[in-house]
Amino acid sequence: MTRAAHPEAMAPPKKGPTRTAPPQIPGSWWGAPRIRTYLLFGATGVVYFLAGTVVLHLVWALGKGPDAWAKVMDDLSHPLYLAFHALTLISVLFVGIRAFGTMMPKMQPRGGPLPVLAPGLVRGLIYSAWAALTLVFSLILAGKI
Amino acid sequence: MKHLLLKLEPVIWLLFGAGLSVGTMLLTGFVLVVGLAIPMGLVPSEALDYERAHALASNGFGRLVLLGLIALPLWKGAHHVRSLSVDFNGGDRDGVVGVLLYTAAALCSLIAIVAVVRL
Repeated sequence: MTRAAHPEAMAPPKKGPTRTAPPQIPGSWWGAPRIRTYLLFGATGVVYFLAGTVVLHLVWALGKGPDAWAKVMDDLSHPLYLAFHALTLISVLFVGIRAFGTMMPKMQPRGGPLPVLAPGLVRGLIYSAWAALTLVFSLILAGKI
Repeated sequence: MKHLLLKLEPVIWLLFGAGLSVGTMLLTGFVLVVGLAIPMGLVPSEALDYERAHALASNGFGRLVLLGLIALPLWKGAHHVRSLSVDFNGGDRDGVVGVLLYTAAALCSLIAIVAVVRL
C-alpha cells in the first residue's frame, strides 16, 4: 500500500537561507517592444504638461490685450514652436489611438446595470466622437463656423 | 507625503483620466489649427485676430473649454511623468516626485483659472 507523502517530508530539518539569486531586473528591460510602447505612452506626459503651459501662455497673453496677443501669435511661427506642436500632434494621436482604440474598449464596467458593448462598437463610438469634436473645434478656430 | 498622495489618489486619477480623454480630444483640433495651420499660413491669421479670439474665449463656454485645454493636459502630464519616474527610479523618491509634479499642475491650474476669469 502506498499513500501520499507529507508535503514537508523532504524539507531540511532546519530552515536555512535560500540559495536562489535575488530577483533582478534585466538591464535591457526597457528595450522590449511592449515595454517601449508603454514607456512612450508615459513619456507623452512631458509633452502634455508642456502643451498645457503653452495654452496657458496664450490665454494669459489674450487677457493682456491686442499687442500681447499679436506678439504671442507671431511667436508661434518660430521653428521651435512648430516642432513642438508637431510633436504634440503626434503625441495626441498616439495617446488617442492607444487609449481610445486599445484600452477603453477593454475597460467597460462588468456586472453593472449597463450592457457590455462589443469592443469594435466602443472603439467606433469613441473615434467618431473624437473626429467630430476635432472637426467642429478646428472649423470654429479656423473661422469657418 | 506618500500618505497624502494615497488619500488624493481618487481625485488625481479623475483628473488624469479626464486629461487623457477630454484633454486629448480638445488638444487635437487646437494644436492642428492654432499650433500648426495658422503659423504655417494654411489658415489666415485673421481667423484668430484679437477681437475674434477674445469673443470666442470670453464667453462662459469658451472659458470652460480653455480651462480644460490648460488644466487637463497638465494633470495627465504630471501623473504620467510620475509613473515614468517610478518605472525608472523605483518608488523610493515617489513621494517627493509626486508632490512636486502635482503641486506644479495645481499651481498652473490655479493660474489658468485666473487667466480665464480675467479675459
